[in-house]
Amino acid sequence: MPDILFVKPTLPRAGALVLPLAEGFTLSGLAKEADEATGGAIARGLEAAGFKGRKGQSCTLWAPGGHLSRVVAVGLGAAPEERGAEAAGGAAWPLVSGEPEAMVAAEGLNAALAAALAFGARLRSYRFDRYRTKESAEDKPKLVRLTVASTEPEAARAAHAPLSAVADGVFLARDLVSEPPNVLFPEEMAERCRKLEKLGVEVEILGPKALKELGFGALLGVAQGSAREPRVVVMQWKGASKAGKGDGNGKAGPVAFIGKGVTFDTGGISIKPAAGMEDMKFDMAGAGAVIGAMAALAGRRAKVDAVGLVGLVENMPSGTAQRPGDVVKSLSGQTVEVINTDAEGRLVLADVLWYARERFRPRFMVDLATLTGAIIVALGHEHAGLFSNDDDLAQKLAAAGTAVGEALWRMPLGEAYDKALKSDIADMKNVGGRPGGSVTAAQFIQRFIDTREGPMPWAHLDIAGTAWATKDSATVPKGATAFGVRLLDRLVAEHYEG
Amino acid sequence: MRLRLRTHLGPKAAARPRLLPWRADHPPPLPDMPFTPGTARWREGVAIAPGPEWRQAGAAAVAVLPEGTRHAVLDARALRPEEAVAMAMGALLQAPRGFRLDLWHRGEDALAPLCRDARAVLKGVLLARRLTAAPGNALTPKIFARRLRRLERHGIGVQVLGRRRLRAAGFGALLAVGEGSANPPRLVVLRWRGRIAAPPLVLVGKGITFDTGGLCLKPAAGMEAMRADMAGAAACAGAMLALALRDSPAPVAAVLPLAENALGAAAYRPGDIITTLSGLTVEVVDTDAEGRLVLADALTYAVRAFRPEAVVDLATLTGAVVTALGHHRAGLFGNDAPLAAALCAAGEAVGERLWPLPIGAAHRRDLESGIADLRQCASGRLQPDACHAAAFLSAFLGGSPPAWAHLDIAGMAEEPADRPPGAAPAPGGFGVRLLDALVASRFEDPHRR
Repeated sequence: MPDILFVKPTLPRAGALVLPLAEGFTLSGLAKEADEATGGAIARGLEAAGFKGRKGQSCTLWAPGGHLSRVVAVGLGAAPEERGAEAAGGAAWPLVSGEPEAMVAAEGLNAALAAALAFGARLRSYRFDRYRTKESAEDKPKLVRLTVASTEPEAARAAHAPLSAVADGVFLARDLVSEPPNVLFPEEMAERCRKLEKLGVEVEILGPKALKELGFGALLGVAQGSAREPRVVVMQWKGASKAGKGDGNGKAGPVAFIGKGVTFDTGGISIKPAAGMEDMKFDMAGAGAVIGAMAALAGRRAKVDAVGLVGLVENMPSGTAQRPGDVVKSLSGQTVEVINTDAEGRLVLADVLWYARERFRPRFMVDLATLTGAIIVALGHEHAGLFSNDDDLAQKLAAAGTAVGEALWRMPLGEAYDKALKSDIADMKNVGGRPGGSVTAAQFIQRFIDTREGPMPWAHLDIAGTAWATKDSATVPKGATAFGVRLLDRLVAEHYEG
Repeated sequence: MRLRLRTHLGPKAAARPRLLPWRADHPPPLPDMPFTPGTARWREGVAIAPGPEWRQAGAAAVAVLPEGTRHAVLDARALRPEEAVAMAMGALLQAPRGFRLDLWHRGEDALAPLCRDARAVLKGVLLARRLTAAPGNALTPKIFARRLRRLERHGIGVQVLGRRRLRAAGFGALLAVGEGSANPPRLVVLRWRGRIAAPPLVLVGKGITFDTGGLCLKPAAGMEAMRADMAGAAACAGAMLALALRDSPAPVAAVLPLAENALGAAAYRPGDIITTLSGLTVEVVDTDAEGRLVLADALTYAVRAFRPEAVVDLATLTGAVVTALGHHRAGLFGNDAPLAAALCAAGEAVGERLWPLPIGAAHRRDLESGIADLRQCASGRLQPDACHAAAFLSAFLGGSPPAWAHLDIAGMAEEPADRPPGAAPAPGGFGVRLLDALVASRFEDPHRR
C-alpha cells in the first residue's frame, strides 16, 4: 500500500508525473512547467494520442524529456466530481505503479477532489500476494509513495485522513475475503476482529458454549457438520457516547450492521457441484464488509454508536452434519424445517439478527450476505439486491450506494412471497423454491426481525453478485471487492453523525 | 361468462347463491360473523367483509361458493357503483367458464357505463385466455392470424404479413426463428384509430405459438406449458378488443410477431448470424432465446411504421425473471420513467403487479459479439438473462427511441401451484387489464400534451 503525501507543487526531478485533466483542458501549473521543460513534448504527445480528458480516458507518454521517465494523463470528464476524481486516481495507479516515485499534479483540483483522487489510487493499489512465493521483484509494484501536489496541501491532507481510514477498512475486508478457507475459519476470523480493539472497538467473541446457552439453534445447526467451531463476534464502536453525545444518538440506540460469515460453504449434505466451489471462500463477504465498515468508522473516529455482529460458521458435510429434513429451533423460538442445507446463510442471520435486536435495541439494522444465486440471475453483477421494510432506510442506503459506486437495486417483499415458506411440520421451511428465490430468502430473514414492540427498520443486502469481481474496474482490482464497506460508512457519515 | 344488472330480484333469482358484502360500519349479515377484511363464509349465500380491495373480495367470495355454482347474485345495494363493479369483476375473473353474475343494485345511473366497460375488458381477458390456452397444434401462426382477423368486426384494422412479404421487407430475425417449423411465421398488425389525432401507443407481443427451444431443445418435463409462449401477443390482442368494445378515444396499435420455434432440417443454429429488420446483425447463441429475436424485428417495425408516442412490449421472455420475481410480479424494464410509473400504477390498480428491474451498462457489455453487432444472449450459468434480454431489445428502437417499456411476463402466463386468492386463474390473460388501465390513465386525454 503506497504512502500518500500532499505537498506544495514543485516539479519532480525524476519518476512519473500524473496529469488529471478535464475536458477542454489547457496545461497549467506543474503540467505547463513540465511541458516547457520538455520542449512542448507533453502537449504534442497528448495531441498525438488523441487525449481529450474524457472520463475513463488515459494515456502514457514515455520519457518525454527533462528527467521524467513518463507522464500519465487521466481524464476527469466534463465537470470533475468526487467519483470522477476517484476513478482518475484508480486509472492512474496501474500506469505508474512500476515507478519508484510518482507525483500527481492536482493543483487544478480543490482539496476534496485531490483527496478523492489519492483515495482512488490507493483503493486500486490493493493486491493480495501473500501466497505468491516466487513472484519476481520486477512483477511487483515498485511505487511506495504517491505524492500529490496541491495548492492547499493541508486541506487536502485533512480531507484525505478519513478516506484513508475507509481505505484501511476496505483493505481489511478484501484481505478477509481473499484468504483461503483453510487459513480463515471462524475462530481465526474472530481473532482477526480482535485487531479492531486497537482502534477502540470493543470486541466480544461468543464461542459454541455461549451460543448453546443463549439458544442459537439455527446457527449451531449449520456449524455442526464442521470440525471448526462457530463464533459470533460482537463489535461495538461508541463514537457518539464517547464524544459526549450519548443523549442524542444513545437514546435512539446504535446503528447495527450484521454480516453473514460462512468461511467456506460446501453446501453441506445438499452439496454443491464441484465446478466453482472454490468461490465459496467468499461466502463470508457480508461479515467481511461489516468488519471492514467497523474498522473504517473507528479509524476515522466517527461520531456514532455502531454495533457490528457477524455469525461465523463453516458449512461442511459430515457424519455430524445437519440433514435435509432436520428441524432446528432458532434463538427467536421459531422452528425451521431445513429442506436444503445449502440455504444456510439465512439460518445464521436469523439468530444473529434476533440477538442484535434483543440486546441492542438498535435504531435500524442492515444485514449483508452473499445469500442467493438467484440475485445474480435477477440483477447480474452491477447491483446488489436491496430488500427493506422501511422506505426511508432503503432510500438512504440506495443513495449512499450510488455516491460511492456500490449500487443497490430495490427488490420486492410481500406476503405472497412469504407463503412459499410454509412448512407442514415446523413454523417455516428454510427455502421457498426457485421462483423469486432471493425474495423468499429475504422473507425468511424478515421473520426474524422482531417488530412486536414497534417498528424495526431493517434492510437486507444480497451481495452474492457483487462481492467478487472477475475484472478490474477503476477503483476495484479484480478479486474481493469489499462491497458494502464504503456504502455503510457513507450511510453513517451522511445521516447518523449529527 | 355474463354480467347483468338488476334492480330487483324475481323469486328464481332470489333463490340463487348470493354474494353479500358489507362494511365495518354496517351490521353483519350473519350475527356471529366478526368483521375481518377479506374473510368470506358460506351459509345461504356468501358474506364477505372486504378489505380495501373490492376485486379481491369478489375473488375470495367465488372461491367459497358451493361447488358447481353457475349463476349467482351479487347484492351490491350497499356499495358505491365503482366498488360494485370492481367486486363483480373480481368474481367473474375468478369464476369458472360460463359463470353468470347478476348485479343487484339500487338503480344508480353511473353503474351502466361502468358495467359496459367492465364487460369490454372481461371480453378482452377471455379472448387472451382462450388464445393462451389453445394447444400448439390448434394455434399455429396461420390459425392465430386467422382468429385475429375476426377482430375486424369490432372496428379494428387487421393486416397480416405472410412469409413472402416478410422476406421482401427484411424480417430476418422473425423468419430465422420460424424457419425450423412447417408452420411459417406471420406478422399481424392491429390498428384502433380512436378519436384523438396523436401518434399511437403501440403494443408489441411475443407470439411463439409453441416453443420447443429449437435445436437448443428444452427438457421434456414441462414442455407442454410452452403452448402459452404467445401469452404476450394474446394479451395485446385482448387489450385491443377491450379498447374497441369500450370505444376508447385513444389511438392504439399492436404489432404481433407469430412464429413456431420448432426444430427441423431448416432450423436456425447456434452460431448463425442473422441480419435483422433494423440492419443490425445478431450472433445466435441459444436458439431457445427466440423471443427477443422476433420482438427485435417487431419493435423495429413498430417504431418505423407508426412513429409512436410510446411502445410497450409484453413477452413470456425468460426463466430468469421467474427466478428474480417468482409468480407474483412481472419484470418491468424501459427507458422512460413516467411511462414506467404509469404502468406500475396501472398494475397496482388492477392487481397485475410489476416490479422494475435494471438495464445496466454491464448488461449491454455482456452482449458484445466478436463477429456480429451484438449477441443475442450470454452463455454460462447464473446469467441475468432477463436484464440481458431487455438490453438486447433496447438496441432495436432506432436512433431516437420512443418511450418504451418491456414487460417480462414469463412468471405470470401460467398458474403457479400456490395461486393466492385474487390472482387470475390459469391461463391468466395477464396484461389485458393492465394495458387497458394504462390507456385509460395516460392516453385518453386529448389535451395531454
